[in-house]
Amino acid sequence: MQGLLSLLRKLRTAPEKELRLLLLGLDNAGKTTILKMLASEDITNVTPTAGFNIKSVNSEGFKLNVWDIGGQRKIRPYWKNYFENTDVLIYVVDSADKKRLEETGIELYELLSDDKLQDVPLLVYANKQDIPESLSASELAQTLGLPTIKDRSWQIQACTAIQGVGVREGMEWVCKNIKKK
Amino acid sequence: MANEPKNPDELLKGFQINWICLRDADGGKIFWQGSDDLSYPDVEHEARVPKNILKCRAVSREFNFSSKEQINKFRLEQKVLFKGRCLEEWNFEFGFVMSESTNTWQSIMEAAPESQMMPASVLNGNIVIETKFFDDDLLISTSRVRLFYV
Repeated sequence: MQGLLSLLRKLRTAPEKELRLLLLGLDNAGKTTILKMLASEDITNVTPTAGFNIKSVNSEGFKLNVWDIGGQRKIRPYWKNYFENTDVLIYVVDSADKKRLEETGIELYELLSDDKLQDVPLLVYANKQDIPESLSASELAQTLGLPTIKDRSWQIQACTAIQGVGVREGMEWVCKNIKKK
Repeated sequence: MANEPKNPDELLKGFQINWICLRDADGGKIFWQGSDDLSYPDVEHEARVPKNILKCRAVSREFNFSSKEQINKFRLEQKVLFKGRCLEEWNFEFGFVMSESTNTWQSIMEAAPESQMMPASVLNGNIVIETKFFDDDLLISTSRVRLFYV
């Protein structure tokens, strides 16, 4: 979890003592892999999440909690139970799963319309860039209509989580966009 | 609440700790993983870990657990005890737990500077990681892992 510790060190300037990042997205988007990459862990045994995975880091009283909630259709209705006190929403998309782009868009905009996630900055990871037919980050941003989002700061970051490519860059943006409450 | 709390007995019966894992937070090397008999609440588990775990800047503790029933106010209290005296405490609020779910919680706390660390010979067999799981005020399960530095 070295990566998370160093992330927490960067976030220490934030006035709040406990920070919460929420990872959501359809099943098989790569949320758990991103979480494990952030923690510099082995990703060979990642399996579908039937619940949640949380990583909590505590350094001199500052706490960072990263919540990864399973994305299977039958558990998506429970996502709303985890919205409260979220500092940054991280939405993960499989950029090569073209058949489900509409579905992932619908889920995303449902999240953005929820009162509990109002004003919460949004980072979208355009994951699986290593797959040749995947959409680029800018194509995905257009397809999902991200430029129409005016009520919060947002960013899209291309990444290939299984290789660790792009994950860190996304977190740099998260660090800069933690809301000062 | 749409789902009224279940009979506590069913909640307790449906809750299970699947495994506990201690790792070096740098690099994720596993020092100890236990998965036997963890569902028996009164058994204290013994973890034999290499002495050099004390040189790690941070050690992560990971719990994997399943619940058959929905839990609405899930939380835990974790204490690191030395001869019964609390050295470190971590309370964590999960809130909602889905029915038929399997979940993990991994935590790390940065270690005390090596100069403040007690030597392995003093700590050996005297450190217990005690983790209590609750639904609000209802105690669901207690896990105790005693550490031996070998």
